[in-house]
Amino acid sequence: MSNFPISLPLLAQEGASSALTVFLIYTLAVFGLAAISNVLMRGKSFLSEYFLGSRSLGVWAFALTFAATSASGGSFTGFPSRIYSHGWILALWISSYMVFPLCTMGILGKRINQVARISGAITVPDVFRDRFRSPAIGILSVSLIVFFMSFNLVAQFKAGSKILIVLLQDNGLFQDGVIGMKSVLPADSTIDPAYLLCLLMFALAVVLYTTYGGFHAVVWTDVMQGIVMVIGVMIMLPLAISQVGGVDSLGREMSAMTTPRIGFVEVAVEGNYEGGKILPSRWIRLEGEAGNARLLRLNSDVVAPAPDRARNQEVKYVELTTPSEIERQLERLTKAGGSGLLNEIPGVNVSVKFLVEREYLYGADRTGAYVTGPGPVAVELKATAAEEKKRDLEKEQGENLGFLAFSIAISYFFMWAISGTGQPSNMVRLMAFNRSATLRKSIFTVMIYFSMIYFPLVMIFCCARVLIPGMELDSDSIMPSMAVELTSNAGHPWLAGLLIAAPFAAIMSTVDSFLLMISSAVVRDIYQRNINPDASEKNLKRLSFLCTLLVGFGAMFGAVNPPKFLQDIIVYVGSGLSACFLAPAVYMLFWPRLNKQGMMGGMLSGFAAHFSMYAAGSYFNGSFFKPWQPIGFDPIIVGLFVSFVLTYLIAKATPLPEEDLVRRYFKKKPVA
Amino acid sequence: MSPPKTDDSDWDPVYIHSRREAILIICTWLVALLWTVPYCYLNGYLPAEVSREVTFIWGMPSWVFYGIACPWMIANLFTVWFCFGFFEDDDLGENDPEGSSGEPYSGEEGIAR
Repeated sequence: MSNFPISLPLLAQEGASSALTVFLIYTLAVFGLAAISNVLMRGKSFLSEYFLGSRSLGVWAFALTFAATSASGGSFTGFPSRIYSHGWILALWISSYMVFPLCTMGILGKRINQVARISGAITVPDVFRDRFRSPAIGILSVSLIVFFMSFNLVAQFKAGSKILIVLLQDNGLFQDGVIGMKSVLPADSTIDPAYLLCLLMFALAVVLYTTYGGFHAVVWTDVMQGIVMVIGVMIMLPLAISQVGGVDSLGREMSAMTTPRIGFVEVAVEGNYEGGKILPSRWIRLEGEAGNARLLRLNSDVVAPAPDRARNQEVKYVELTTPSEIERQLERLTKAGGSGLLNEIPGVNVSVKFLVEREYLYGADRTGAYVTGPGPVAVELKATAAEEKKRDLEKEQGENLGFLAFSIAISYFFMWAISGTGQPSNMVRLMAFNRSATLRKSIFTVMIYFSMIYFPLVMIFCCARVLIPGMELDSDSIMPSMAVELTSNAGHPWLAGLLIAAPFAAIMSTVDSFLLMISSAVVRDIYQRNINPDASEKNLKRLSFLCTLLVGFGAMFGAVNPPKFLQDIIVYVGSGLSACFLAPAVYMLFWPRLNKQGMMGGMLSGFAAHFSMYAAGSYFNGSFFKPWQPIGFDPIIVGLFVSFVLTYLIAKATPLPEEDLVRRYFKKKPVA
Repeated sequence: MSPPKTDDSDWDPVYIHSRREAILIICTWLVALLWTVPYCYLNGYLPAEVSREVTFIWGMPSWVFYGIACPWMIANLFTVWFCFGFFEDDDLGENDPEGSSGEPYSGEEGIAR
C-alpha cells in the first residue's frame, strides 16, 4: 500500500461526485449505527457491552464482523496491486484461504468462548490472566497487544487517508478544503495538505463512531462494510470477464504477455502550449526496429514549459512489450479522440532520452511469465547498496528468484490460515458469539464469503492486466482505476463510487476493531484489574470513552508523518502477534498441564524469536523490515516453532498448575 | 496434549469435543498444504530453460485449476460437512457473574439472530 498515487485523473468528473455521495451516505450510516448502539448499551453492564457486545452476537453479525476485520485494507489495495504485478501466482499466495474460516474460527472458537464464559473475561488479556490467576500474564499480554497494535493503527490510518484522497480529489469542495489546509500549514511544511485533510476526516469519522458506539457499533459497521465489499467484487467479476472478451480470451492474452520494460527517461518538451499546464496524456509512441511501434507510459504528468522555452523532466516509464497489448492500447487511446499521445499533441515537440532500465530478477522477456510460477519480479529503481548486494548473491546462487519461491509459498500457507488464528482481534470476536450453533453456521457463512472475494479478485485483476496495461508503477491504484474503467465501459459510471467504497470499508472495519482492542486493554486490563478494582460504572465509562478518543487521535498524529514501509509494518505486526499469542492460546485451551511459567515463556520466546529475525535483517539485509529468512522461511515460522517448543519445555520443567484451576477449566461442571 | 486416561468421564465434554474438532482442522490444513503447494510447484513453476505450453481451464492456468480451485471447492464441501455433520453443538455455559463487572450474562438480546 505504499507509494499510493496522489493524482488519479481517471476518476475525474463522473466518478468523483458519486464517490463523494457514497462516502457521505457511508459516514451518516455509521454514525446512525453508533447512535443506536449507544442507546442499546443503556441498562447493561457497561464494560461487557462496550468491549464485547454482552457475548450476544448472532450468525450474521458474528460472521461478517469476523470476515470484515480479517479482510483489512490490504485485501483491496495491496493484494490487487500484487496480482497486477505478478499474475496468476497470487492464486497460490492466497490459497490457504480455502481453509481460513475453518482454521481461524474452528480451532480456538468454541473453547475460548467457553473459557471466557467460565472466567467472565471480556478481553484477550482477561482470559489469559484469569486462566492462570496471574496479573503478570495479564500485564504482559496487554503490553504486547498495545505495542503491536499501535504500529498497525498508524499504518491503517495512512492507508485509509490515501484511499480517501482517491475518492475525493476531484471534488470542488474538497479542493477548496485542501487550499484552506495549505494556508494553515507552515510555508516550509513537507506534509501534503490533501493527505492531512483526508487523515483528519478519516480519523474523525472512525474515532468518533467507535468511541460513541463501542463494540456493537463496530460490529454493525463491519456487517455493512462486509456487504459492501462482497457486492463490489460480485459486480466487478462479470464486468471484467465480459470486457476482456470471455475467459478463453483472458487465458490467451495472459499467456502471450511479456514483462514490460521499466526505467527512467528524460522527457524534453518545447512548443506553444499554455505554460505551466499539465499536458493531457502520459503515453508516448516511438518508432522501433523494423517499423514496429514502441509505446511508453510515463509515471507522472508532464508539465508544459512557457512558450518558446524548453523543459526537461526526468520521469519513470513503463514500456509495453507485447505486440497485441500495444495494438489494443493504441486503439483505446484513439477512442478518446485524436491520437491520445503526448508526442502527437499539436504545437508541442516532445523528445525522449532513455536513462536507466530496471532489471528483472525473474521473468524478463518470457512469454507465460504471468501464468506460471514464481511470477515476475523487477528490482527497485532505487535499491540500497545492501539490497543490491543481497540480490547479486541470490542471483548467483539461483535462490529466491521470482515473486513466490517454493519456501515462501509454504510460509504464506502458514501466514494466512495459521497466523490468522493467533490474532487477538480474531480471538476477541470468538469470545462474543452467543452459542456454539452460531459458531458452526458462521464458519459456513465466512467460507462462502471468502470464496466469493479472494479467488474472484485474482481473476478480476488478471483481467486488469489486459484491460489497463502499463500500470506497473501505479499498481497500488489499480483497484479504483479498474472500478472506473469497468463501470465507464459498461455505461454506469456512478457504480464506481460503490466499488471504490469497498477498500475504504475494509480499512475502516479493521481500524475500529484495533482501536477498541487497545482501549479495552488499557481500561479493563490495566486500570480496572490492577489499579482500581472498585471503579464505578460511571468512571469506567468515562475512562473508556476518553481512552478510545486518545488512542484514536494519538494514531492520527502518528500518521501525519507516517512510516514509509506501510505493508511491511502490517506484515510485521500480524506475524508478530501470532508468534506471541498462538502457541500460548492453543496450550492454554487444550493442555491442562500448562502453568503460568510456560504461558509467560511462550509469549516472550515467540516475541523474541520473531523480533530477532527482524533485528538480524537490519544487519544482514540493511533494513529492519527486510527480515532474515533462514532457508527461505518467514520469521512467522521461526517464531511459531520456538514458541510452541519452549512453551512445552518450560511448562514441563516447572511445577504442576494449581489443581483448582485445572478443575475449573477442564473438568465437568457439577450439575446444579 | 492428551488428558490422563484414568478418569476420562471426568473431563468437560466441551473440552473433549473442541479438542477433537481442532485436531481434525489441523489435519485438513496439512492435507491442503501437502496437495496445493507441491502440485502448483511441480506443474506451475517452469524453469527458464523449459518451454512448455500452459493450458487453460475456464480462463485460469490448469495448475491453478487443479492445484487451487478444485481443492478450494473440496475444502468448501469439507467445511459444510464439518459444520453440519461433525461439529458438536455444546452448551458453553453462562457468564460467570463474578467475572465481568458484577452483572449476570444479559441473555440473548442482540442483533441479527
